[in-house]
Amino acid sequence: MKNFFIILIIKILNIGLKIFRKNGGNFLGKLAFDWNPNIFKYFKINCPIIAVTATNGKTMTNNAIGYVFKKAGCKVISNVEGNNMETGILSTLMKNCSLTGKIKADYLVFEVDESYVPVVFKDLKLDTLVVLNFFRDQLDRNGEVESLILRINEFLKTYNGNLVLNSDDPNVSRLAKANPANENIYYYSVEKYAFATTKIKEAGEGKFCPFCNTKLEYEYYQYSHIGKFECPNCGYGKNKIYKLATNVDLKNKSFDIDNFTYTTKFNSIYNIYNFTAIIACVSLYNIDRNIIKYALSEFQLNNGRLEELKIKGNTTIINLAKNPTGANVSIRILNEDDDEKELLFVLNDNLADGHDVSWIWDINFDELKNVTRIITSGTRAYDIAIRIKTAGFDSSKIFPYLSLNEAVNDLYSTNSKKYVIANYTALQPTRKELLSK
Amino acid sequence: MKELKILYLYPDILELYGDFGNIQVLKYRLEKRGINCIIEEYTIGDLEPNFCEYDLIFAGGGADQEQSILAKDLIHYKDNIRKAIDNNVFFLLICGAYQLFGKYYKDVDGNIIPGLEVFDYYTEAINDRKKRCIGNIVIDVTLNDLNTKVIGFENHGGQTFNISSPFGNVLYGNGNKFGDTQEGFFKDNVIGTYLHGPLLSKNPELADYIIKYCLDRKYNENIILENLDDKFENLCREQLFNQFLSRHN
Repeated sequence: MKNFFIILIIKILNIGLKIFRKNGGNFLGKLAFDWNPNIFKYFKINCPIIAVTATNGKTMTNNAIGYVFKKAGCKVISNVEGNNMETGILSTLMKNCSLTGKIKADYLVFEVDESYVPVVFKDLKLDTLVVLNFFRDQLDRNGEVESLILRINEFLKTYNGNLVLNSDDPNVSRLAKANPANENIYYYSVEKYAFATTKIKEAGEGKFCPFCNTKLEYEYYQYSHIGKFECPNCGYGKNKIYKLATNVDLKNKSFDIDNFTYTTKFNSIYNIYNFTAIIACVSLYNIDRNIIKYALSEFQLNNGRLEELKIKGNTTIINLAKNPTGANVSIRILNEDDDEKELLFVLNDNLADGHDVSWIWDINFDELKNVTRIITSGTRAYDIAIRIKTAGFDSSKIFPYLSLNEAVNDLYSTNSKKYVIANYTALQPTRKELLSK
Repeated sequence: MKELKILYLYPDILELYGDFGNIQVLKYRLEKRGINCIIEEYTIGDLEPNFCEYDLIFAGGGADQEQSILAKDLIHYKDNIRKAIDNNVFFLLICGAYQLFGKYYKDVDGNIIPGLEVFDYYTEAINDRKKRCIGNIVIDVTLNDLNTKVIGFENHGGQTFNISSPFGNVLYGNGNKFGDTQEGFFKDNVIGTYLHGPLLSKNPELADYIIKYCLDRKYNENIILENLDDKFENLCREQLFNQFLSRHN
């Protein structure tokens, strides 16, 4: 009975918030969770629950999976706004359930913060878990990657549902062994692409075999520590691949899976991995590949994740980068683009970003291609300026501004293509400032 | 052409907090002055380096698990390293490397990882994984005739005891232990510190102190280093000192 009233009150509050045009976000979920931490048990769900977790790419992958299901005519409930902690997921469930906790949908698709997977799915039955990657991320807030992986590994020891794993991330594919009895393991991988290297180019995590501590050997690296690896001692790394992307063509934004070509609106190797995960996931639910192809060809994110805009006549590409790998992916995209361009890098050190900005030294600024000028901004505008200068970029072409407004004004004082990289709390203010031009 | 030779220890393992930036800063400041900078690397599986051949030895911080793997490797070079220290080769040791040069490191579970025992200090982790000294830190540093404020970021669970001569006095942040007044270890040609940031990126005077030490030792002179354009560094320091020190005092 108590849960009935919690949901009733939350629904009334939600209507109130809607009248005032406010988004409840995590707030309503937090209220309900504080009231009853076991409230997840109250929901009556009769459809598959799919979750996506990773350091990078959760929102994009989650939203695209939901989008494919919708295009297939299914009813999907999903936390598309990116509220990915237990409170955010609870908010999404409560907004979409009846007063008795019934949820009517064909699929529930959630992105879940890496550290919250065990919390959220203690009482919700998970059908498929998609794990994309693990990278160093805000070390002063999250701690080392290893402790995070161990928590998910612990949760998976008793999990028997589908597990869609990136075979090329040694920190992800190890999760297959958490529960040796689970036969529902589906690995995905991407064939070596044109910019793959034999030496690691960017900071990475997969150095030692998680099972025998031997140094892993790589045939090639696609980006960061994602690539074809194997343990020379115990053989870890040889997996049977369920979905393999081949013929990766970044210029035409296309790739093949099972001899069938997909085209997307995204042009980085990092996104090809995400798309392969998406296709592996929805294929488990027998979605027609023509529908998948159509849905992915038009799927877009308009929230500063590789968003392309025209501002004052200049093509502007905005990307979020909250950790070294995210930033390195952005730099890769910039370097793989032959056009002349200017870069704006906005770096904040607020609580949600992590106060530690030393991670910017893990960004590979060594060989910037056709970048004519760099503007920096954010609360740590000078730190990022020092970083870029030390990498060898001419300091007379670096312009730091603590004021975002001045930075954006300077950026559009010239006409050229613009790349904008912003970290977590910097992204939306930067986007707003850009859109006001 | 003058040159400095740097040995970078375990670049593939002790690389978690961007500490490699220290070497990039040294290289940048050397090359701007027309001095050649040679960086050689050593990691597990490589041939034993002759530590005395170098002007500067550098090592940074890494993940806990990986650090215990390399501690076993490093201990083979105890005598070689001690000889280099006695020969006045400069050592810059950050975080995990700083700890490894002491007597021992006692981890959260009580396991003792033996150190190189080059110095008398020792480090013990607090028996609560969640408790770490994390945050921005400013210290006041006096190294022979250099007096400057040094700014960085600390992130360590280990508490280091029995420091005979610290690197600096804490103005903001923790230091060797929670709420300590002292940070790091300093002795003639050795700096051990918890400061990431990377350390040298916002402390150009300290970077030049190390460069001058190495050049003077190698070429037996008293070099006056040419000034560089440190505009960004100075603006950054001014901004952060305002933020951390004015609020604190």
